[in-house]
Amino acid sequence: MLETPHRELNWTPFYALVLREIRRFLKVATQTVVMPVVNSSLYLLIFGVSLGQRLSVQTEISYLAFLIPGLVMMAALNNALMNSSSSIIIAKFSGELEDLRVAPLSPENILWAMAIGGLFRGYVVGGITFLVGLAFYRFYDEQWLVISHPFVLVYFLSAGCLAFGKIGIAVALWAKNFDHVSAVTAFIVMPLLYLGGVFYSIESLSPFWRSVSQYNPLLYMINGVRYGVLGVSDVSVVTAALVTLGALVLSHFLARFSLRTGSYQRW
Amino acid sequence: MVKPLSINKLVKNYGALRAVDQVTFDIPEGQIFGLLGPNGAGKTTVIAVTTTLADSTSGFVEVFGVDVAKNPKLAKTYMGVVHQELVNQGFFNVEEILHIYSGYHGILKNHSRIEFLLEKLGLVELRKKPVKFLSGGMKRRLMIAKALVHWPMLLLLDEPTAGVDVELRRSLWEFMRELKNLGMTILLTTHYLEEAEQLCDRVGIINKGKLIKVGPTQDLIRELTQREVKFTLVNPIDKIKNQFLTKQNGKELIFEIPSSHQVGELLCSLNIPLLNIADIKVSEGTLEEAFRRVLEGGSSFA
Repeated sequence: MLETPHRELNWTPFYALVLREIRRFLKVATQTVVMPVVNSSLYLLIFGVSLGQRLSVQTEISYLAFLIPGLVMMAALNNALMNSSSSIIIAKFSGELEDLRVAPLSPENILWAMAIGGLFRGYVVGGITFLVGLAFYRFYDEQWLVISHPFVLVYFLSAGCLAFGKIGIAVALWAKNFDHVSAVTAFIVMPLLYLGGVFYSIESLSPFWRSVSQYNPLLYMINGVRYGVLGVSDVSVVTAALVTLGALVLSHFLARFSLRTGSYQRW
Repeated sequence: MVKPLSINKLVKNYGALRAVDQVTFDIPEGQIFGLLGPNGAGKTTVIAVTTTLADSTSGFVEVFGVDVAKNPKLAKTYMGVVHQELVNQGFFNVEEILHIYSGYHGILKNHSRIEFLLEKLGLVELRKKPVKFLSGGMKRRLMIAKALVHWPMLLLLDEPTAGVDVELRRSLWEFMRELKNLGMTILLTTHYLEEAEQLCDRVGIINKGKLIKVGPTQDLIRELTQREVKFTLVNPIDKIKNQFLTKQNGKELIFEIPSSHQVGELLCSLNIPLLNIADIKVSEGTLEEAFRRVLEGGSSFA
């Protein structure tokens, strides 16, 4: 009984945790996938379809087309953040987080596994949102939406989701209760997302608000995705790529710091 | 030979509070060691440092010769731990949890081990049940299965039988003995002294962070407790004078002698004709008495 079987400690523990993170949100898919998709579909319906007829952002594209990439990125980022933060918070509450600490997983393993779990959920929710948007677009604008720069799209989606997954880790480890997490989401993340040009082009803003908006990193992520899908952007794509990369690096250090100093102990 | 667990001059401060103070002990392979102490004595902190949940302030802990602070990944593969408080896992069922934990420890194909544990711990019929629907006792069994799923050689049990019914407690004791027979080393913290007395080869008594007594369980009991010797006589005898006599009640004489004292010596010194003795009953002291004496006596026994 004490003859140990084959054991691989470099990748297997990490892989097991990634798989666990993905299976966790799929187990409660109603809450983690269906609800966010219904949410963004409502945005598409209300803003894109009904109000969109009266709005125009840029001459060559319809408002519905403009809205789709913004909503995809908003859903993806939001869900990436939710995935890692709620996974950690629930694990703190149940005492499971102590188990993670006792398993042979390095902080780096935990960090990347949680971030990849968020990335995965971001892609699932963002992807379905995109498909719903595609269907609306086909139905109302009677055209197919062709992704103009797929690699750019993948870069912004991936880097953005990983960054938000890591922010989720940092917040959840720092949090002392559920309220802390919802406070960060409600007072910081959501305003930045809504004001990041999901629903409008910053060209339409007054010069003052336009310059204020330029300090919002989410503006760059959202416009990066819009460039990937439609080939248009309010900001330079290179700048957007660099800002997104910067956000990824910064969030990594934040999460790393939280994992080192934050508490694994149960509430 | 490398010891499964070796704790050296361990100190752990929580702010101004010294939870563990210069604790040193080790456990030889294949033994069950009981760490005993009242609530808040520092038992859980010793386990927390061993499993890297807490950092030591000074001193170090080695598991099979591996310093847990320097090479935690390797050290963690050698040990399994059952925490004191129940863990609720809302998302997965019993079997899924065991597969996930195997994976955490680097083992992807672990079917036979999982089947063995499900069977041993009476979880076979609950394998598809989500953890949140298990009773407290069943959750405890799952925690033990989880701690053993990666074939550890050292098992840390932090009050495994707290809040567990008598039947389950007995079956867990049986299981621990079985594990010991298979060569596993076990560190058990408990405040059920009966448990420690039944299971542990050696015990350490800890109070206010200090380890005040360590030794083989039976030696400790012998050293720290009295044996009660009860004579039932055929005809009552008056005027017995003996320093160990505690009670005389007609035909009944009760003596309390130190465990090192022999019954024969007592008998000789009493000069009672052997034919006048109807019965002799000797009861050994318990670990509980030893424990109480150590705690009351403080460090004077150390």
